[in-house]
Amino acid sequence: MSSSPVPPAVHDADRLESLAAYGILDTPAEPGFDDIVQLACQLCDMPVALVSLVAEDRQWFKAQIGFPHCETDLNSSVCAHALAQPDELLIIPDLTTDPRTSANPLVTGDPFIRFYAGAPLRTARGLVLGTLCVIDKKPRPNGLSASQQNGLRLLARQVLSQLELRRAVEARDVLRVNEGQAYRTREALRDTQLAISAAEGDLQTILTAVIDGAMQALPAADGGVFELLDGAHLEYHATRGAVAAHAGLRIPLDGSGAGFCARTGAPYLMVDASRDPHVKRELIGTLQIGSAVFAPVLRGVTVLGVLKLQSRVPIAFNAHDLAQLAMFAGAATSGLAEAAARAETRAQDTYWRGLFQRLSEGFIVGEVVRAADGAITDWRYVEVNPAWGKLVGVDPMTVIGRTIRETFPGIEDAWVDEFARVVVTGEQTTFVRQVGTLRRWYEGRAFRVNRDRFGIIFSEITSRVEADARRAAMLALGDRLRDLTSAAEMTAAAAEIVGRTLGATRAGFGRVVGDVEFIDIDADWTAPGHVSLTGRHAFDEYGDFRGELRRGEALVINDVTADARTAADPAALQAIGVGAMVNMPVRDRGRTVALFVAHDANPRVWTPEELAFLRNVADRLEVGVARVRAEELQGVLNAELAHRLKNTLAIVQSIASQTLRGVSERPLVEAFERRVLALSRAHDVLIQKSWTAARMRAVMESVLAIQADLDRFALDGPDLDISPQAALSLSLLLHEMATNALKYGALSTGAGTVRISWRTEIDQSPALVLDWAEIDGPPVEPPSGRGGFGSKLIRMGLLGTRIAVLDYTPLGLRAEFRAPLSEVQVLAH
Amino acid sequence: MAQSQSPNPTYVLVVEDDPILMMALVDFVEQAGCDAVEATTVVEAIQILETRADIRTVFADLDMRGSTVGMNLALTIRDRWPPIELLMVSSQPWDDAQIPERGVVLGKPFDRRKIEAVIRRFAS
Repeated sequence: MSSSPVPPAVHDADRLESLAAYGILDTPAEPGFDDIVQLACQLCDMPVALVSLVAEDRQWFKAQIGFPHCETDLNSSVCAHALAQPDELLIIPDLTTDPRTSANPLVTGDPFIRFYAGAPLRTARGLVLGTLCVIDKKPRPNGLSASQQNGLRLLARQVLSQLELRRAVEARDVLRVNEGQAYRTREALRDTQLAISAAEGDLQTILTAVIDGAMQALPAADGGVFELLDGAHLEYHATRGAVAAHAGLRIPLDGSGAGFCARTGAPYLMVDASRDPHVKRELIGTLQIGSAVFAPVLRGVTVLGVLKLQSRVPIAFNAHDLAQLAMFAGAATSGLAEAAARAETRAQDTYWRGLFQRLSEGFIVGEVVRAADGAITDWRYVEVNPAWGKLVGVDPMTVIGRTIRETFPGIEDAWVDEFARVVVTGEQTTFVRQVGTLRRWYEGRAFRVNRDRFGIIFSEITSRVEADARRAAMLALGDRLRDLTSAAEMTAAAAEIVGRTLGATRAGFGRVVGDVEFIDIDADWTAPGHVSLTGRHAFDEYGDFRGELRRGEALVINDVTADARTAADPAALQAIGVGAMVNMPVRDRGRTVALFVAHDANPRVWTPEELAFLRNVADRLEVGVARVRAEELQGVLNAELAHRLKNTLAIVQSIASQTLRGVSERPLVEAFERRVLALSRAHDVLIQKSWTAARMRAVMESVLAIQADLDRFALDGPDLDISPQAALSLSLLLHEMATNALKYGALSTGAGTVRISWRTEIDQSPALVLDWAEIDGPPVEPPSGRGGFGSKLIRMGLLGTRIAVLDYTPLGLRAEFRAPLSEVQVLAH
Repeated sequence: MAQSQSPNPTYVLVVEDDPILMMALVDFVEQAGCDAVEATTVVEAIQILETRADIRTVFADLDMRGSTVGMNLALTIRDRWPPIELLMVSSQPWDDAQIPERGVVLGKPFDRRKIEAVIRRFAS
């Protein structure tokens, strides 16, 4: 017995779609529907009633009474035939006799149904979803009564109302769920974006924010990870939940869902990992994946990484979840782009800042401070580098925001005025200047940055400036020591030079007395407002440092309150204005004989260069003083020698005079006495320059004065320095000439005078030429005979050159004497 | 030159501790026409001045042993015997400010003319 074919109305697409839209198939039993089938049974007095929905391949019962199955195939469906007559009940009094149903398995077999009456479940649009039907196991030739038919029709309408109601409630719930989900997603996305923008480009913060947001938005997920593409691998970052233990894991692109996603650059829904073609089995076990969603993180078309959420259970995610995950991946893209940009900026910034930090020159950005009238009175530190701190000795952290006048009270105005000019004129400037309170020198360049700001780059040149100052001081000291002639003047000069050069408050030189017990300070230099220490001082009153001084070591104390030798009782030193000191010993034959002393009222660190300078000065001074003392001693010896020589010459005169007592020609004796006298006068002049030279005019005047008043002589010539030999020769020569003039020549009368003139002739052989001219005397004649000692002396001339021209004119004697200038003159030294 | 003994001799006290120089100084005194009274020490010179009133001039060597005795003698004389004239010889430089009033110092070696001229001036 063949079954009749399924009516075509069953397969109507509109009808099927409409049925699916109710979402009723395969749902549990509900009282509303159960009540209706109950009512239908009672109304029609039937054992079976069903709410039958006809799907494409089966009929499914939402409610049933007296029927063993919850669904049947369409071959077994009687209801399917009801679809053909949407407006009427389908009543078949004996199913065995109706051609549509006689072969129906439910008729021919168990449960052997015989009667069927079904009211169509017709929607508002006229589509029939199924029927509300009643069934009996025995035929009913009379069918249903009119009221039963009407009742069944009403109940069918009630079923549809239930379906509509159910669908409305369902739709409302879904909407609620979706709204909640959407809200959660929006919140999570917003939080994520906020976190990304607050991350300031920090990669880890961004990854964490994205994964946490995605986990929050997709509650189905029990694990998540941000995988960053690194060559042919994906590396696990920001792992969460089930994946938390796998941070740092690297997986190849082959054999993973994430790899597939990265390769395709498209989101991927892994519905069931165990059946997924892209993931390796062992990875599923390791990561405990049942299902997962993957979204690529892209910049342009470049894949940066993959965002993955997973669940232990299969089919935990749907397309909606995938779409949501893609939104987070999108947020990650912008975050990663910013991270990359920031990283680049940071690298640049780090580069320049590093340069700024490592620069050995100091760097300042300053901003001028203006008074009410706009005049610039100060400037403020905006930025400084570490080198600045080193170069000025101030912690850079403490200075930002403070002004230079606050930072360095009492600083020179030029440190403000010069930079004010840079800001006002815009012209850069270079400077070399000291900060007096720091005792440090700086050289640098200042330039305008903008209207009120300027930059300074500078280096410290204190050591160079001080070295220059010390060199200049040594030169000055050398000059002073050469020119000065007493030890006291020298020590005073050295003290002043040292004091000023080192910026000390006192400097002096003292002789050590006894076994380094006392010091006698001859003279000292002090800065204004500091007392002199001239006089005798006992070392032991000031501290325990005789040992060093005795050994000839420099005594260097940077701070009398801290140094072990003076800290016990620094009051004595402080009382004389000593906060720091150096005593530099001067040695003589292994003993400390003197000290060069430098004091500073405040503690200071004496540098090796300063100590070397002091050592140098002390040595130079010692040499200079030794020279002066030697000269003084020489002077004393010379004076003593002169004294003895003169006394001896007096004795010679006396012996001669007594010896020649019997000689009748007293003038000869007297002539001898006077020649000794003339010789002595030359010595008198020579001794003034320690027998090295004599002034020519002084020699002449001294010897001529023995013979006559000096107004009888007219001297005319350059006042040369002449040698001792020339001085003696000149004295004896002039003495004889004057003696003769006195006896026979111009000086023998009251009116005559002698004109003595001399000059230097610079020819092939430079010479001194001396003219003797007697005026207004009696007529003279050449002496007869060879004459005596006096005549011989005259003919010998100056220095025994024998170049002597004597001309006895009627007007008076004229004579010319010549001598090589090189033998006469001593060049000034 | 012959030495002439005047009826009213003018006495010059010569103070000199060196015997050879004493001879020269005495010679200068005598050549100047005066009579010399010799003293070889300052003490002796003071004693003579205390016992004799006829000394008009003292002629002393400032170089006597004990560096300042000659000058001290001159100062003492100016103080105790103001009228007496002082002539001194010296081999060392002297400070004019230290020389007693009216005193004359001449250097060594001797300038006979000047020495004798001063003695004559004092004697006249």
